[in-house]
Amino acid sequence: MAASRWVRMGAAAGVVTIFLALVGLIGGFTDVYLIGDQIVFAGLMLVLPAFVAGLVAAAPRVEGGERHEMQLSEAMKAAAVAGAVAGVTFALAVVLADWIGAERIRTVFLNVSPQLMEFVNFGQATGPGALIIVAISALAGVIGGALRVAPRSVRRPVTAAVMVTLVFGFLQRVIPIALDQLKLERDWLYSPEFDGLTWIGAVVVGAVAAGFSVLNARFGERLRGGLARAGGQSGPAISPARLVAGLVGLALLLVAPLLLGSVISEVLGTVMVFALLGVGLNIVVGYAGLLDLGYVFFFALGAYSLALLTGATLNAYGIPPEPVISGHLNFYVAIPIVMVIAAAAGALVGAPVLRLRGDYLALVTLGLGEMVTVLVGSPWLVPLVGGPSGMRGITDAAIGGLAFRDPQRFYYLALAFVGLAAFISWRLATSRIGRAWTAMREDEQTADAMGISTTRFKLLAFAIGGAIGSLGGALFAVKIGSLTPASFQVLVSIQVLGLVILGGMGSIPGVIVGALVLVGLPGLLREFEEYRFLAYGAAVVAVMVLRPQGLVPNVRRSRELQDEERAQDEWAKAVEEGETSPEIATASGATT
Amino acid sequence: MAGTEAPRVEAVRLSRFEQLPWRRIILIILGIVVIGVVGVGATRTLTLGKAEGGYSAGAWRDFVVQGTAQGAIYAMIALGYSLVYGILRMINFAHGEVFMAGSFGSFFFADAYEKSGFLDRDPILALAIVTAVAIGVSVGTAVLLERLAYRPLRNAPRLVPLITAIGASLFLQNTFRGFFGPQPYGYPKPVVLAGNITVLGVPVQRIQLLVLVVAVICMTVLQWFVSTTTTGRSMRAVAQDREIASLMGINVDRVIVTTFVIGGVLAGIAGVLYSLTFEQVQFTMGFKPGIAAFTAAVLGGIGSIGGAALGGFVIGLLQAVGPPLILTGFGIPSVFSLKDAFVFLVLVLVLVFRPGGLLGTGEAEKV
Amino acid sequence: MKHRRWFKAFALLAVLSVVAAACANDSGGGGGGGGGGVDCATVEFGCVEVGADEAINLGAAQVISGADATLGQDQVNALELALDHLDGTFDQKDGTLLDHPVKLTTEDELCSAEGGQTAGTALAADASIVAVIGTSCSSAALGVADKLLGDKGILLISGSNTSPALTDPALHNPFYARTAHNDRIQGAIVAEFALGADLGAKTAATIADESPYTQGLVGAFEANFEAGGGTLTGSEQVDSEDTDFKPVLRSLAEQKPDVLYFPIFVAACTLIIKQAAEIMPDTTLIVSDGCLSSDTLKNAGKAADGVWASSPDLSAFQTNEFYSGEFIPAYQAAFGSDPLSVFHAHAYDAANVVFEAIKKVAIDNGDGSLSIPRQALRDAVFATSGYKGVTGTITCLPTGDCATDVTIGMFLGPGWPVEGGKGDTTAKYTDTKSLDDVL
Repeated sequence: MAASRWVRMGAAAGVVTIFLALVGLIGGFTDVYLIGDQIVFAGLMLVLPAFVAGLVAAAPRVEGGERHEMQLSEAMKAAAVAGAVAGVTFALAVVLADWIGAERIRTVFLNVSPQLMEFVNFGQATGPGALIIVAISALAGVIGGALRVAPRSVRRPVTAAVMVTLVFGFLQRVIPIALDQLKLERDWLYSPEFDGLTWIGAVVVGAVAAGFSVLNARFGERLRGGLARAGGQSGPAISPARLVAGLVGLALLLVAPLLLGSVISEVLGTVMVFALLGVGLNIVVGYAGLLDLGYVFFFALGAYSLALLTGATLNAYGIPPEPVISGHLNFYVAIPIVMVIAAAAGALVGAPVLRLRGDYLALVTLGLGEMVTVLVGSPWLVPLVGGPSGMRGITDAAIGGLAFRDPQRFYYLALAFVGLAAFISWRLATSRIGRAWTAMREDEQTADAMGISTTRFKLLAFAIGGAIGSLGGALFAVKIGSLTPASFQVLVSIQVLGLVILGGMGSIPGVIVGALVLVGLPGLLREFEEYRFLAYGAAVVAVMVLRPQGLVPNVRRSRELQDEERAQDEWAKAVEEGETSPEIATASGATT
Repeated sequence: MAGTEAPRVEAVRLSRFEQLPWRRIILIILGIVVIGVVGVGATRTLTLGKAEGGYSAGAWRDFVVQGTAQGAIYAMIALGYSLVYGILRMINFAHGEVFMAGSFGSFFFADAYEKSGFLDRDPILALAIVTAVAIGVSVGTAVLLERLAYRPLRNAPRLVPLITAIGASLFLQNTFRGFFGPQPYGYPKPVVLAGNITVLGVPVQRIQLLVLVVAVICMTVLQWFVSTTTTGRSMRAVAQDREIASLMGINVDRVIVTTFVIGGVLAGIAGVLYSLTFEQVQFTMGFKPGIAAFTAAVLGGIGSIGGAALGGFVIGLLQAVGPPLILTGFGIPSVFSLKDAFVFLVLVLVLVFRPGGLLGTGEAEKV
Repeated sequence: MKHRRWFKAFALLAVLSVVAAACANDSGGGGGGGGGGVDCATVEFGCVEVGADEAINLGAAQVISGADATLGQDQVNALELALDHLDGTFDQKDGTLLDHPVKLTTEDELCSAEGGQTAGTALAADASIVAVIGTSCSSAALGVADKLLGDKGILLISGSNTSPALTDPALHNPFYARTAHNDRIQGAIVAEFALGADLGAKTAATIADESPYTQGLVGAFEANFEAGGGTLTGSEQVDSEDTDFKPVLRSLAEQKPDVLYFPIFVAACTLIIKQAAEIMPDTTLIVSDGCLSSDTLKNAGKAADGVWASSPDLSAFQTNEFYSGEFIPAYQAAFGSDPLSVFHAHAYDAANVVFEAIKKVAIDNGDGSLSIPRQALRDAVFATSGYKGVTGTITCLPTGDCATDVTIGMFLGPGWPVEGGKGDTTAKYTDTKSLDDVL
């Protein structure tokens, strides 16, 4: 029965809210203001699951090959029920917690703090508090449902408005700095007292976002056609929204450090290093389809070889500071050598393992990453790389008098390298090699049968990806100026993989977006540092289950990943348009 | 006339250079190098005098015992990896966290029982309850994983569920960190399990003996289950060919869930044993044993129960015996700091020579 | 063609990047202008200008999140008490320095090199920061924060960095100082204790982990132990995330060392204590302040009996009337608990040393504003001599160590000076050394 479905959704949402509370995302953020002094992050977390439940409950369903759109009243009912049930579930948990005693629960679940309890009870006693929760959740659900059944012309602008406003609210530490640098008034937008957006600012931002959305809807189609004609392209036209976004993004990338000051530039510098790593891993995972879980191998190799080639010294106590192998080359002379070393190492290490099937390869590459981590911190190699204390005195990549360790300068250096790597990567993708990779990735057996030497191409991907990874490592070393093994853990490999996936495998703009989201955001939103990997894990799972092609997909890859869904969608569309009957083929095998 | 002729295909002539069986030559050279290194290292270590850092017979005996005990735990966790792989052809990266979850879940009960004295008054009953809780939490986690993260991706390309598993692993780890904090908790050990016991003249810790016995029992029961019971046979059928099994009337979904449940049960038991051995739980405790067990499963030949068991013990022994035996001879300082690297090197070498693992077929499956 | 357009875009991007880099301004230009006396416009590193109504900005780079948060938070708390005490009493109302209020700007250094860089960059970019108290962890300072701040002439003074490398003449940054002890001293005193009458050890083995903190202590211990006539039988390194240390211990047990020194952190340390009890029952176990915690005592249980722990001897503070009579009650009143870690007093002293130096070198511009020359401030701090702080007498050496006479105590488990310590929790052995006495 439909109602049971709504109840189940609501219950699931309620459980998610309980989860958020237990993990600390509510109790710890009751004083992070997003808008004015009323909308706090904790509040957002509290109602978001109910909102989503309402959204999903009111969604059209595909049943028996047919797509049922909900009637307005039914949809509202569904959303309200889902939201209310979410609220009831959570309220029950709160009541239970109050009854058992938050202090006792705290001995097990550390985040059931007095702060949390006060917040979820809205400062009231248990009974009224619970009722408020139910009411607010139901309201959130209804809003979600309303949004879902609203016509597209309403839904799109509202969604745009809300999302952009929230983003502005989150970036309360970043955007004001930019405004200050541009000498613009910021007090009307960001409240000096509460750090979040002011209500006026929120309304303005939302209105502007909604406006853009409406413009895109209205004129988007026409512009797209016009662009296609103007460009004389045969391929799929880029939507004007995407084009504008791309150009704006590019422009922002170029001017960001000048606008945002050195603190944020420093974070962006790290983002660029990871973007570089992402471009490299993208070749291995995105183009060639090899699951490499040990990318930190190349990262560390690049960092330490650069250090050794440019005369860095050891930090360890009680031993001579000069490493047993030490060169004193200029950064720009050392870089090609570093890349060659990494490519060679990649080829050497890859040769025996790349013929293994995907899962085995994953494990072996993971092991390689672990090995490198162990080796750089080991006592055995102390005379070479300094052990746990690491190395220092890494070159600042100076050209003449222009040094690059300053955050803004470094950012541009890194950006230049990212551009270079992206260019190489893009050229490869469109070359014969890239086509071989695509063939290999889509159907290895057939590619083999067609005479493509899969081993050779895999090795090539591995080596090139490794060379770019080592470039990232070298830049990282320059950025920090010293190296410790602590920076080269398995987690780095997983982070880079995460950003490649989130952004979209095989897509370079995707890699940059992924880096901005997964490396830039945590760097800028320092309060959420502790929840960084929780969000990573959830994001990776969510992306893989819901949208495996990532945020900024590579068109071809989306096709591969969603073949089946696309086929179904096309069939469903054909049914809608009356071209096919929804019934399965008749007994005689013929279709109408 | 030109159009009617078949195009001439020239015979490709390989040069002498390309004709050589390169792969085999490299393998042989590699094999010789490996045997050489191992031989030289081992001989030198064994001929070292006490003063230069050599080891007594007692030390070797202890290394073997320690490695075997640790290996038993790895074997139990590796079984979970192998089972899931056999059925779904995917590595459940988050299995280490399933293990951790059970252990952590049981901690609160174990702690309470120790404080009230129940643990020492009636250790068997107390431990039984604690294990039941661990199994419950592990199974719950495993089933949730399957339902939310893996089932939607049943038909996705190979890479996708693998990556999802990694994300799930991160997520679970940090969930437990969020719930319970980053610090280690001391897990209680009942008095009856403390201390040593002599078995065949060899002093063994009581808990190590328990781990070994329980592991062997579990593996035997599992082997029996898979070969004789209906569910077991259904599992093997699904592992062989999912579509045909489904046509034969087997409820594939249910079989898959059962597999995860069994893996969860084994992980839960392993979790309790592990915590009793080391007397500590922490949110990171699943990561290293997970990787070690995963390595063990692959080393032994993934998909096979015997392989997982063998792999587990081999990895345990490699960690405890490998570095002292081979690396000391080369004068490397602090050999145990390299034990993880050593194990992975062995894995890579095994896979080079036998791509299917030790008990595998010897041939790499292509897809 | 579409391709060519993208190519051009990339090339343009690369070129623009390089040009922009060349044109990018250096972050945080030196403070300029103002005031008589020292010529702030020409002196190296310039001056910090504090306007008539402005507060003096004191920076802090401490670890305030994650597993090590107590270490940093404890020091931040102590700094807030230092601000309070500017008016001479702990009344939860901040005092003023030279008629200006003082404010604290805290950055999280995450106990890592990356965190140190982020915190260092943030603080270095702020031209109003006079000096920084930090970092919490040596790894955040070494070659990272000390350099970032030193390049701008901002003094960095730490209340908890103990790594010898930070004040090693070859590696020392001229703008770095610390009031915490140098681990060379702690390692030496532990070695002396091991060789001495209480233990009379002839042989020792060490276990380090992958952190630089441990390396410093183990290195100092080994050097002094051997110089004192002892023999080192084994030296191993383990991973702090590991759990099975039995093979390592069994390997070290082969040579039957009299003493095993493993100055590592709580999680691994507890496990080693328990496992060593079975494998090397006759070896005396010694740990240091990384393990000295109530969690260790709780989790190790009986195995912790007889385990020695070295730590700065706090009893010296306890008898210090100011510390036990005023500081601790003020801490409890302001933060609702006892101090979280050992280094709060060192941070407090560091802040006060800086305040004294500011008083000496600040130039009153006559209109209520101040100019504080950076180089002079640094010189004044390094000239501190005989200053009576909470942790003892502070005299700064040119290499940055200001805790010149360090008293380290050895505590016998379960009598450790932490929550849960049982029985006699006073130090069974103490010694005071200065850097000249040790290797």
